[in-house]
Amino acid sequence: MSAFLKSRYFSLEFIMGLGLTLGITFCVLFSSWLFPGAGEIDLTARLIAPFQQPAHPFGTDPLGRDVMARVFAGGWISLQVGFVSVVGSVLIGVAVGLVAGYYRGIWDVVVMRSADIQLALPFILLAITIIAIVGGSLTNTILLLIVSQWVQYARLVRAQVLALREREFVLAAQAMGVKSRNIILQHLLPNLLGPVIVLMTLNVANNILLESSLTFLGLGVDPTIPSWGGMLADGRTYLQTAWWVSVFPGLAILLTVLGLNLLGDWLRDSLDPTGRTER
Amino acid sequence: MMKQTLTAMAVALAALTAGHATTAHADGKLIVSSPQDPGSWDPIDTFLVNWASLATNVFEGLTYRGPDMKLVPGLATSWEVLDDGLRIRFALREGVTFHNGEDFNAEAVKFTFERLLGDEGAKGPQQANYTAIEYVEIIDDYTVDFHLSQPDAVLLTKLAGYGAMIVPPKYITEMGDDVFNTKPVGTGPFKMVSYEPKIGVQLEANADYWDGAPQLAELEYRFITEPATALAELQSGGVDLVIPPTIPVGMIPTIEADDNLELVTTAGPTVTALRFDTSRGITADADVRKALIMAVDRETIVNSVLGGQASVIASFQGERSFGHDPALKPLPFDPEGAKALLEKAGVAPGATVEINTRGNDATFNEVTQAVAAYLGMVGVTATIKPYETNVLLNDIIPQGKTGEMFQQSWGGWTFDFDNTAYAMYHTGQKWNPYDSDPQLDEMLEAQRPLTDQAERERLLQEIATYAADRALEMPLYNLNAIYATNKRVQNFEPAPDNRLKLNKVSVQ
Amino acid sequence: MAGFLLKRLAQAVFVVMVVTLIVSVAVRMTGDPAMMIAQGATDITEADLERIREGLGLNEPFLSQYLATLSGLFTWDFGRSFLGGTPVSTLIGNALPATLLLAFTSLLVSIVISIPLGIRAAIRRGKWEDQLIRILSLVGLSFPNFWLATMLVLLFSITLQWLPPSGMNGIASFIMPAVTMGIILTATNVRLVRTSMLEVMQSQYIMVARAKGLSERTVLYKHALRNCAIPLITFLGLQFGGLLGGIVVVERVFNWPGMGSLAFDAVAGRDYPVLQSVIMILSTLIVLVNLLVDIAYGLIDPRIRTE
Repeated sequence: MSAFLKSRYFSLEFIMGLGLTLGITFCVLFSSWLFPGAGEIDLTARLIAPFQQPAHPFGTDPLGRDVMARVFAGGWISLQVGFVSVVGSVLIGVAVGLVAGYYRGIWDVVVMRSADIQLALPFILLAITIIAIVGGSLTNTILLLIVSQWVQYARLVRAQVLALREREFVLAAQAMGVKSRNIILQHLLPNLLGPVIVLMTLNVANNILLESSLTFLGLGVDPTIPSWGGMLADGRTYLQTAWWVSVFPGLAILLTVLGLNLLGDWLRDSLDPTGRTER
Repeated sequence: MMKQTLTAMAVALAALTAGHATTAHADGKLIVSSPQDPGSWDPIDTFLVNWASLATNVFEGLTYRGPDMKLVPGLATSWEVLDDGLRIRFALREGVTFHNGEDFNAEAVKFTFERLLGDEGAKGPQQANYTAIEYVEIIDDYTVDFHLSQPDAVLLTKLAGYGAMIVPPKYITEMGDDVFNTKPVGTGPFKMVSYEPKIGVQLEANADYWDGAPQLAELEYRFITEPATALAELQSGGVDLVIPPTIPVGMIPTIEADDNLELVTTAGPTVTALRFDTSRGITADADVRKALIMAVDRETIVNSVLGGQASVIASFQGERSFGHDPALKPLPFDPEGAKALLEKAGVAPGATVEINTRGNDATFNEVTQAVAAYLGMVGVTATIKPYETNVLLNDIIPQGKTGEMFQQSWGGWTFDFDNTAYAMYHTGQKWNPYDSDPQLDEMLEAQRPLTDQAERERLLQEIATYAADRALEMPLYNLNAIYATNKRVQNFEPAPDNRLKLNKVSVQ
Repeated sequence: MAGFLLKRLAQAVFVVMVVTLIVSVAVRMTGDPAMMIAQGATDITEADLERIREGLGLNEPFLSQYLATLSGLFTWDFGRSFLGGTPVSTLIGNALPATLLLAFTSLLVSIVISIPLGIRAAIRRGKWEDQLIRILSLVGLSFPNFWLATMLVLLFSITLQWLPPSGMNGIASFIMPAVTMGIILTATNVRLVRTSMLEVMQSQYIMVARAKGLSERTVLYKHALRNCAIPLITFLGLQFGGLLGGIVVVERVFNWPGMGSLAFDAVAGRDYPVLQSVIMILSTLIVLVNLLVDIAYGLIDPRIRTE
């Protein structure tokens, strides 16, 4: 442990990143336990300023709901979207990338051309079109992100595999008659996890921002479910008379995304020093 | 193609270096922020309220209805209803010219309506509103007869707006519809100088206007969609007047707190209700529907969430509507009574309803959440599913794919309950996907051909009472039209229907 | 090399065709524009709707509608807006320069911030200044941009009244939108400048320059920076695409008369011709820029060509 503290991997970035990410995740996961029954509508307690009443440290919103409770509960949507979309993209992307890189052929063409198309489509414009068709919901937002992002992982993994498959340990395994499936799972996969993890961390951050943008544009989820983007959009109306309604959720997004970005940046230095995951 | 882009680039670059001119208005210039660009200024192409909020300054109809909602002479000085409502004779105003110098006369009126009812009109949405007119007959240069296929009690009002605006025959014939779309010519108090799609419109005073030259020398409209952006422009002096539907109720305190700004509101045509799916689920039972209405404290919602900028309604119309019955009172807020009714109807606590709303309606978004909370208190769990506005209006409602309750915000600019009731309650109408009531159909049809307005009003009131009795919707409120102005704007009178005519307005 | 160019060009054409196809299909699923246009009329019948659809050209076979859209890239004729009938080319002729100007200005802002910070971080490698710069640039990346935009408007337009809150009118109106967009790119660019500076500074020729007794300033800004230029420019090319995609939100907040605002209104109005043309043109631009970057790379580093 003390060796780690002295190593080059240990830095301010790492402490801040880990601290923010873990801290906020903890608050969000246990929000219903930390604030039982809070966040209910009370039209007699509208727009109370923060730090006035001990029951509402961050004040209340236009419907008299406790802002602090909603900020923590709202993180649940953001974290869900962030993590689920990334895990989904990774599962598809890594599998396709491995197959494409190892076997080449038609899969290779599919990956490369999908990558071209994905790069060429302006995401938010496409998103507002699709959401207009299917309606806004948590599932739809996640699906949309997976559809548009899996190919990033596929491309990354494919490039890695192309380099790795010429390496001695893979050639040796092939010569010894090890099955392709085992070569992929035992020899290739572990060697390309680093860059994938880095890209995952940065994309969780990115997707939290994208989700809040979509909700802000009015394409989000059920307004009774608190979400950071939705709170920001609603709070814009009250910005000049009740800043706390939008400033606290804004800070929550900023700190969460910052934590993940710091962590991702640090992971990149540690796991991927050559910078293959540059976005 | 390249040339066009390059020119535009050059224009944009020029704009880049032009410097910023927010506070330096020329004397007598008013800048209005409008939320939407209708795309075309041709009266027969549009259905948008924000077409009218500008075009009322450029075009005029035979009749005119100002902010006081009274129907007065416009381009016609008088009219006479003849042949049991099948013929209307108009005496036209003499000495009026269009902005291009063309004379206004019987020929222009005939041309206008032949265009509206002919092939050109068929491409747009306005034609359907004027199908009662069979043809226009020229009696002399300044007299015309409108021959109707059936009496239309609302026609005189409809002649005051939208598709019935009188257009210049020579200009349109010579220049074509495309030019007319972007550079419209009318007889109104302001002339259009330039139109930049999606950005704005410049107008100048028509010094020869028959009702006297306007007070303002120049008028500009800027298209700004986001309420916060429009308000920021108003506060920093970039615009002088923000018109509805822009400002959500939640921004009112901000306006009131700013010493330079003034809030001007008036009861508008738009009424909002949560309508019920009367065909299935717990809302198929009229008693349950009544219970749900009684469970919601509409008065408190209006006073707190809506800051008092609305009035509670008893039927699907506001006080200014023709057919409004002051004797009809909203169902009282009575959660205990609601619970009893629900229990009697066999609805167990924990029953669910889904409410569909327009996703981009910030104010209603808060209202629905409050409604859901009230329903929760009588044991009904409400979930809210917002749809993108056009999906809700053009797909979900007409095809009957809503939840148990859905938002309907409705307001015909004619302020005639027939417009609302027929569309909402008559069997087979687009807005009535669930209900079919032969008795109601009959009542709706019976009032239409009547020319006796008192009798028609009585029938419309009966319809309102009948619908309220069946609890076909949860009537919520009639929301005010919210305008905000810079205090330097003088003599501004808010138009309830957003048909702004700014000839009497001046700036300091 | 000619083979490589042809192959890349063919791929670009393929991508534009597929993207346009995807968009054309998606747009047609968003709902019936005739319903939309007829909304204000009472007693509308199916025959009325059919008449409006016919007038809009929606009864043509899909394939010919698709080909007509695609051919607009060459003829600059994208049909007419369903809302009001303005030619789409006029709308795009106004909106595209506005968006491109904003995108360029944003890149510029990002470069102006990134280069000095990146160099400073490289010189102070591993010191607290290096860490601080990296963390600060990540803060910029982590802002929800619409929130940042709103805050900027509150401060600079409403409170201080220094800058116009919306529209494109003079240099002042570019400042807030460009800063909002540019700040997002700063984290990546600072990192890029820092990394390339570190590499360059260890190279022999910088050592020579130092040995010649040139001032540290000259060494850094004249000699070292020049060598970072190529990776930086390539990277800016790639960022340009991302910038065009992400500009919608910022355009919305600042009421910027660009492609994003145009597309947003078009979705709301089911304005197929406008929406599909906007997305098609932006995609084509992104593909072209990527193609140029690719070719530049191919020229610099022949190994890329084989891949």
